[in-house]
Amino acid sequence: MSTPASPSVMSALSPRDTAESRDRRAELAEIDESTSGTVLLFFLAGMAWLLIGTLFALIASYKLHSPEFLNQYAWLTFGRIRTAHLNAVIFGFSAEVAVGVVLWLMCRLCRVPLMAQSVINAAAIFWNVGLVIGIGGILRGDTTGIEYLELPKYATPILFVAFALIAVWTIVVFRFRRERHLYVSQWYILAAVLWFPWLYSTAQLLLVLEPARGTVQAAVNWWFGHNVLGLWFTPIGLAAIYYFLPKVIGRPIHSYYLSVLGFWTLALFYNWNGFHHLVGGPFPAWMITISIVASVMMVIPVVSTAINHHFTMVGHFGKLKYSPTLRFIVFGAVSYTISSLQGVLSSVRWFSEVAHFTHHTVAHAHWGMYAFFTMTMFGSMYYILPRITQREWPSERLISLHFWCTALGIILYVVPLSYGGWLQGKAMLNATTPFLEVVQGTLPWLKIRTVSGLLLALGHVAFFANLIWLLARRFGPYRQPEPMILAGVTPAAPVGK
Amino acid sequence: MGIISFILIGSSLVFPAVAVWALWWAGRNGQLSHSDKAALLPFDEQEPVGRMTDVVLNRPRALVSGSGRISS
Amino acid sequence: MNYGPLLFLGILFTLAGSWFGLVLMPNRQLGDLQPHVNTNTAAIYPQPIPGEAAQGREVYRSLGCNYCHTQQVRPDGFGSDIQRGWGKRRSVARDYIYQKPVMLGSSRTGPDLTNIGERQPSYDWHFTHLYNPQTTSKGSIMPSYAYLFDVRKIGYGGASTNALKLSGDFSPGPGFEVVPKPEAVQLVEYLRSLKSSVELPEAPLPKAE
Repeated sequence: MSTPASPSVMSALSPRDTAESRDRRAELAEIDESTSGTVLLFFLAGMAWLLIGTLFALIASYKLHSPEFLNQYAWLTFGRIRTAHLNAVIFGFSAEVAVGVVLWLMCRLCRVPLMAQSVINAAAIFWNVGLVIGIGGILRGDTTGIEYLELPKYATPILFVAFALIAVWTIVVFRFRRERHLYVSQWYILAAVLWFPWLYSTAQLLLVLEPARGTVQAAVNWWFGHNVLGLWFTPIGLAAIYYFLPKVIGRPIHSYYLSVLGFWTLALFYNWNGFHHLVGGPFPAWMITISIVASVMMVIPVVSTAINHHFTMVGHFGKLKYSPTLRFIVFGAVSYTISSLQGVLSSVRWFSEVAHFTHHTVAHAHWGMYAFFTMTMFGSMYYILPRITQREWPSERLISLHFWCTALGIILYVVPLSYGGWLQGKAMLNATTPFLEVVQGTLPWLKIRTVSGLLLALGHVAFFANLIWLLARRFGPYRQPEPMILAGVTPAAPVGK
Repeated sequence: MGIISFILIGSSLVFPAVAVWALWWAGRNGQLSHSDKAALLPFDEQEPVGRMTDVVLNRPRALVSGSGRISS
Repeated sequence: MNYGPLLFLGILFTLAGSWFGLVLMPNRQLGDLQPHVNTNTAAIYPQPIPGEAAQGREVYRSLGCNYCHTQQVRPDGFGSDIQRGWGKRRSVARDYIYQKPVMLGSSRTGPDLTNIGERQPSYDWHFTHLYNPQTTSKGSIMPSYAYLFDVRKIGYGGASTNALKLSGDFSPGPGFEVVPKPEAVQLVEYLRSLKSSVELPEAPLPKAE
């Protein structure tokens, strides 16, 4: 039985239901619908990579404390499976889900339907073919050996073409926008899609195609490596937070001026940060110093963004009970602040002397890429998917399971491993401690990490199951408790001031 | 080294200066004056300021009725 | 409020800053480094590594050894690298001019390898360690690279000269022997070639005590 909500209920609950507002809704529905197939394609492919990447991660994590596990094949060795994990979750999951979120947000904020979807669908297919070839290549042993750029050179041109199409299409949507005003999310998205091709092509040219001499490679490597996170994933994560946080709680962002400040200071400082990965390395001092200075300057955008997010949320924390999007987004926003400040600290020399080269760095990477970015993307998907499929989430339990497994899982990952990494660094500094003793000292923390990985994996499976269930209903008979739009105005549900 | 540090110090002064100038220019041209309006862009008549738009968990049982279609 | 042009310019200018500062300038300063010629001995350093070791470098890259082992010695007073014997002096840019790709590494799950060729010159040590790290380093979390070796029946001519000297639990059983495949030989040649003992003007060796 699926009767649409009766018009009288609709108008009774929506006092401003005029002909004009209905047109506006129809337009929005049409825009969401136009992105539906493409965004779904990116989300589904991304989720598939997440599951694969999680499996690789579990194998790699288990191997690090039990080296005899699956050690009879070269393709399963730690150095390869860890790398396959990184590339699957960064360029498979994170990047593809990010593209889905970017397209949906951009079309909505520009108020234009997605044009010529087949082109961008082709880009999605190219991207995934490139990744399958590339990650297969890594497992075969064809890695380039350059961190964050391991995909072999026979795979990267395919990825570049796919990415160029995505960037061009995002800019085309922007060019044909009907809404002349720009929202802060759009700046971040535009910046991300313009920065990434520049980064990627420079890095490919100077590292893979025509390698620069000696340590210049390492310099370019970390300029790229840090900027992939800082100038591609971070802006997209922030774009999502700046849209979904106000949208869900029904309150505009606290200070638009602060968001302007946050954006421009991030643009100015973040891209100079890369060399803090090279503290103590074979480089002239000015190179390292300039990056440490820029890293410390990152306090400005991070704090202004944190203040902005927090003051938007103040008085609305009760809404976390109802909205999965809000839960994930708030978790992501808080993690952004913490992980960025931790990053600032890690760049300073005295801290780097201890923590560099340890598992502390691995924990920091997961603060940023998981606790901030991945959680934000989960939140975005919870909002977008019902709207592009016109269906409610089938299971509240699976949503809760997903949230608690991933939230607790990543805390269990990051906090102990940060601490364990610090101890490892301290032990390593003492030259009288035999190295094998340092290694033994890391084992408890590495085992906790494997446990946290299992929790995260359970959360991912719960989310994937819910997603498949949602899609299965789309094509079959369905019964749904309640239209989401009405839920927002019922007296029992919270309505902001 | 001498010329490099000169260029670097110079550029680290010039780039922020350009950015500050651009911000000032943008402000003078009224590009930042409607910031309240820009902050309202995610909202519209159907989903105005003051309305929560994502109520999925812990819904009151009394409201569980109707169809699965949502009007976007 | 249409400030599209400002946005585009800002986006491009900000990245241009670090592209200039962190890509072009290092390339200008370090991109033309030449090997150093010692005026007394006419010795040239560094030199490209010879064939078999160079192939071993590819094995090292392909197996992802660089994710657990760094190849950079931090300066004295910053970390305990030199006290641990990981190098006689700090690493400098000139050490790396022939390396493609440069594998500085970012994690010391295992020890630094800049000077492993001096620390462990023995072939036997390297082969048994790669075959099963527990033979030489009990409690190590390094995986075994047994697939770089062949386990085979000892022929009529007796054990091969290059068979590994394994004992106890690690031995392949009576009548069998373990011999390295070419990849293992290349990898060991590469590891043995890693040395940090040549003085450079910008990185003098510490004075003998």
